[in-house]
Amino acid sequence: MAATLHVVAVGSVDDGKSTLIGRLLHDTGHLRGDEIEAVAEASRKRGRKGIDLALLTDGLRAEREQGITIDVAYRSFDADGRRILLGDAPGHVQYTRNMVTAAAGADAAILLVDAKSGTTPQTRRHLALCAMLGVRDVVACINKIDLVDYSQARFDEIAAELRAAAAAVDGPRITAIPLSALNGVNVVERSPETPWYDGPSVLEVLRDLDQPIVETAFRMPVQWVIRHDDGVNDIRGLAGRIDSGSVSVGDEIIALPSGVTSRIARIEVLGEERAAASAPLSVTLHLEDDVDVARGDVISTVTNAPQVATRFRATVAWLDEQPLTAPMRLEARQGARTVPVIVEELHERLELDTMLQVAADQLDVNDIGIVNVLAASPMVIEPYAISRGMGSLVLIDPATNRTVAAVMVDEVLAGL
Amino acid sequence: MTLLTEVGTLDVLEAEAVHVIRECAAECERPVLLFSGGKDSIVLAHLAVKAFAPAGLPFPLMHVDTGHNFQEVIDYRDQFVARIDERLIVASVQDSIDQGRVQDETGPRASRNRLQTTTLLDAIAEHRFDAAFGGARRDEERSRAKERFFSHRDAFGQWDPRNQRPEPWTIYNTKLKAGEHFRVFPLSNWTEIDIWAYIGREGLSLPSIYFAHQREVFERDGMLLAVDDHIERYSHEQTFTETVRFRTVGDMTCTGSIRSTATTVAEVLAETRASDVSERGASRADDKTSEAAMEDRKRNGYF
Ligand SMILES: Nc1nc2c(ncn2[C@@H]2O[C@H](COP(=O)(O)OP(=O)(O)OP(=O)(O)O)[C@@H](O)[C@H]2O)c(=O)[nH]1
Ligand SMILES: [Mg+2]
Repeated sequence: MAATLHVVAVGSVDDGKSTLIGRLLHDTGHLRGDEIEAVAEASRKRGRKGIDLALLTDGLRAEREQGITIDVAYRSFDADGRRILLGDAPGHVQYTRNMVTAAAGADAAILLVDAKSGTTPQTRRHLALCAMLGVRDVVACINKIDLVDYSQARFDEIAAELRAAAAAVDGPRITAIPLSALNGVNVVERSPETPWYDGPSVLEVLRDLDQPIVETAFRMPVQWVIRHDDGVNDIRGLAGRIDSGSVSVGDEIIALPSGVTSRIARIEVLGEERAAASAPLSVTLHLEDDVDVARGDVISTVTNAPQVATRFRATVAWLDEQPLTAPMRLEARQGARTVPVIVEELHERLELDTMLQVAADQLDVNDIGIVNVLAASPMVIEPYAISRGMGSLVLIDPATNRTVAAVMVDEVLAGL
Repeated sequence: MTLLTEVGTLDVLEAEAVHVIRECAAECERPVLLFSGGKDSIVLAHLAVKAFAPAGLPFPLMHVDTGHNFQEVIDYRDQFVARIDERLIVASVQDSIDQGRVQDETGPRASRNRLQTTTLLDAIAEHRFDAAFGGARRDEERSRAKERFFSHRDAFGQWDPRNQRPEPWTIYNTKLKAGEHFRVFPLSNWTEIDIWAYIGREGLSLPSIYFAHQREVFERDGMLLAVDDHIERYSHEQTFTETVRFRTVGDMTCTGSIRSTATTVAEVLAETRASDVSERGASRADDKTSEAAMEDRKRNGYF
């Protein structure tokens, strides 16, 4: 069976994300009778004509009152035998942090654009965030095509705009689809309303998406050391989730940042002895030598190990109302480790109107920028493009405990 | 590599849940696992045991006992805890009533479902728990679909769905101020079908009421409620005997059963796949009061 794909619906506020998710689930028979009845009842209560499928995922009181999505809703979806976890992200700029939550780790995004109003700065922000988060495929839905008389010219115009914006941020592959989420046009099947379009429907694209790229180098952050003395053996197991690659009994490994080496004596996959195990399984590793390894350390193959460094350059999505200015003291949470850091320098900010990086001395909430970070103690890191696990972190403000940024490592730098 | 076993959907869900359980155990000072004896909490407890084996659990289990439980479930609970040899704390709604913390409802619609929140929050405060694992899944209900793995609760136990912490990738911000706590949901991405498939795969036993059995019931709001001393009936509510099973297990007063002949996990799976009614629609009266009933309860500190 193929691994579950993570797909997130993004795009500017009101462009039809929730309606599309509702439509997709409805038209593929994923909704049970009482769920449909509940949505119909909620629609009637709000004086809607027909059934407002956005009310399926807009489940919070405040969302229904305002008719917008505030936080991401997740639904499992079966696209002709392929398991997909669908995230319905909010489009409103105020809730960009929730969109980042949903898009980090996503394999593909469905980007909705209102055919009437076209791309907005928020459309471009979401596209840029998808690009930097490494979302590989973007299904660009030119939605509400019913409002522009199913115009091919308008479709081509917006699709070209999106392709240009994606190219500017080294972006993902784009498949463009003319769509009416409201009427179900090109959602499950290609529809007669757009005879000039001969590409796939949304469902067909989801079904045929490539498998996620598999990172092959073995890495496992140690989450917990299991100690157990059964009277015969004093067991010391290194418990964690394999982040990438695979490991076999007998493999030589290195624990970082300390650099001690040993060999794998035994592998347990939740109680079952195995000769080998791979990502993304949670396992317990037993080493041949009784070396000092603790929570937060990373177990890796000896060759091609990640770097140990205290300084790196990174792309940040700033998520806090309190702006970022350099220098700023924060805490970084990465893998199973928390380290005090200083954001030393702020280099650039992405200007959404031009999609160009411009010099900046402050990042406001929802800005995307490039910074240098200095860590108080050695971190095991790699560029995000090579390792999602070792290259991603969040920043926390220790004064408020708020998560203030999602960070992707661009380059590991020489230390002080 | 031939040594590698193929990784399926359940393996990924299992690995994800164990990752979350281990993170919480490592980062939080005093976690607790909320154990009701229902199928989700059974799966959760089973995963927790696996996460730390062969060592024991680094946290206790806690049952919020409404006093209106199915006896089969209480018996199962005690056997389960004895078998895994872990510590169970029982927080009793009856005690909260006796201490005047809450008032028992009266009449045919009386339920202790809502009262559990006070008992739960009092127990969390008394034991100074800073994290409570729950078996909630995002597919259960639309406000649950919005919840994080690490769901922050303020010093009053409240959830603020408009201001949840960002949770990108699988990195969890586990910082708390005094008096705050987390509700941690390792099964967030599991569906009802996944739970049953996993129960089948792992050969887990369940309380007998999850399988078809003869029971004296009466119909209310389109649901079949159990005939029991704890539930007062209106005079027009006729009782009759039916072959039923329960899809969820909660407080008796608000948990309905469905007509069913499924006596094995495989049969339950087949019935569930074919059903045109969702789990909550089939079995929970508590959500029928208003369209945001669950959100409102959760905001106040419910499970
Ligand atoms: N005419 C037309 N209206 C649509 C279409 N899709 C969505 N709408 C309407 O656009 C409005 C916003 O739709 P939503 O699905 O809530 O938009 P959204 O992108 O989820 O909005 P946020 O989540 O708040 O960012 C609703 O009134 C929909 O009925 C469409 O294809 N055609
Ligand atoms: Mg929406």
